[in-house]
Amino acid sequence: MSCKLVRRHLGAFVDGELDPASQIEFERHLEVCSACQEQLAFERSFRQQALESIGAVQAPEHLWSRALHRLDEIDATRAERTSIEARPMRWRQTWPIAAAAVAVLVIGSVVGLPDSPSAGYQGAGMLQDVVNLHSQALPSDVQTEAPQDVVRYFQGKTPFPVKPARFAEPSMKFVGARYIKVGAHPAAALYYNRDGRRVTLLVFQSPEITRNAHRTHVGGREVFYHNVGGNVVTIRQHGGVNYAFFGDLDRPVLFQLAANARVAY
Amino acid sequence: MRRKEKQAEAQRRLFEAEARPQLDTLYSMALRLTRSPVDAEDLVQDTLVRAYRFYDRFEAGTNFKAWLLRIQMNSFVNRYRRASRERQVFDGPLAIPVGEGVMSRASMRGLTDPVGDAERRLIAQEIRRAFDELSDEARAMILLADVEELSYKEIAEVVGCPIGTVMSRLHRARKQLQISLQSHAVQLGIIEDEDGDVEEPIPLEAFRARKEAKS
Repeated sequence: MSCKLVRRHLGAFVDGELDPASQIEFERHLEVCSACQEQLAFERSFRQQALESIGAVQAPEHLWSRALHRLDEIDATRAERTSIEARPMRWRQTWPIAAAAVAVLVIGSVVGLPDSPSAGYQGAGMLQDVVNLHSQALPSDVQTEAPQDVVRYFQGKTPFPVKPARFAEPSMKFVGARYIKVGAHPAAALYYNRDGRRVTLLVFQSPEITRNAHRTHVGGREVFYHNVGGNVVTIRQHGGVNYAFFGDLDRPVLFQLAANARVAY
Repeated sequence: MRRKEKQAEAQRRLFEAEARPQLDTLYSMALRLTRSPVDAEDLVQDTLVRAYRFYDRFEAGTNFKAWLLRIQMNSFVNRYRRASRERQVFDGPLAIPVGEGVMSRASMRGLTDPVGDAERRLIAQEIRRAFDELSDEARAMILLADVEELSYKEIAEVVGCPIGTVMSRLHRARKQLQISLQSHAVQLGIIEDEDGDVEEPIPLEAFRARKEAKS
């Protein structure tokens, strides 16, 4: 063991970060080498001095209370969001959801949701866009918990106002939005998270998407859908605007989401 | 609904209980990194806000302090956008070549065995100054290892690099601090200028070149 090697790793030796075998070798060398011993003594006392000079300082008194204030703000925003999501969950209002779920089950099990490929669909490219958009998982332009930020972000970008759709299910969490084009049409991609699974909601005009779509009613609401890639894209229309849902979710869930989305508020 | 509120409250209490004991650590670290009490307070607040937002991603049972420090390091790097430049200075051609034993015995003794309180204070002050002249990354390494006494594994987590890299960066940072201190100490007459006792020449020129490049 050379002095050079020992000095090169003296810091790690003092830190106790050498493997046990090297540690023993170092100790052996240090026992017999006075020059390295001196170096070691210096390393130790210098570190002590450095600690005294640049060591820990106490945080100012007010820092913690200021930080707590910021945390309060987060809590308040979260509580607001939860109450918005939870409002339709009041007992009386859970009936339509239950009814919708039943309707989906009935359609799904008795009638059977048609699985035939939507042949001759004119806007197949557009539909593919919806699916691609979801699978690409492009990052959000606006990452926010506040709906008004989204409204503001899309003002002037899209010819229609964009508001994040709200859901009765508290598990549907809005996570962000992105400006996007579907064909030549400006559109908004709204990202949600439902129990760890991503759901993309594309908001756009172009009525042709429903032209060859299947049509059904879920919980009294008209829902269009296209079978695509073994799953389904469900579409709600409201005020001349399409809301297309796609995600790695079971078919009934996608129908339910489309039916229960509060798109106007 | 009630249950959810209660859960949120419990989370908040848990977070506070875990974060409060780390406040001084976060602040010290932030102060040494930003060199400004105002920026340090901002940085700590941002760190706590981020940590609270992503608290559900913290894996219970793992090192909370290291987790907080990692968030703070990231916030610092993002905010000051210095990371790439500093790394260049630190690892690039301007990096000071550091040897294994750069000081004479007399210098080592002079620096670690001050005569009287005045000299002790002077050396402490010089260490602070030398420390402040180091790159962000070098300062971070020394703080994490020597002040916070984290293990190399924890430092690797905080900084986001392999353990082997921690070892070499830390070695380099400490040597840079010593070299910088030594050159100041010589100027102040605390220690004698080096003579034949050194095993390697003191790369003062490299140090000055780097200082010039920095300013």
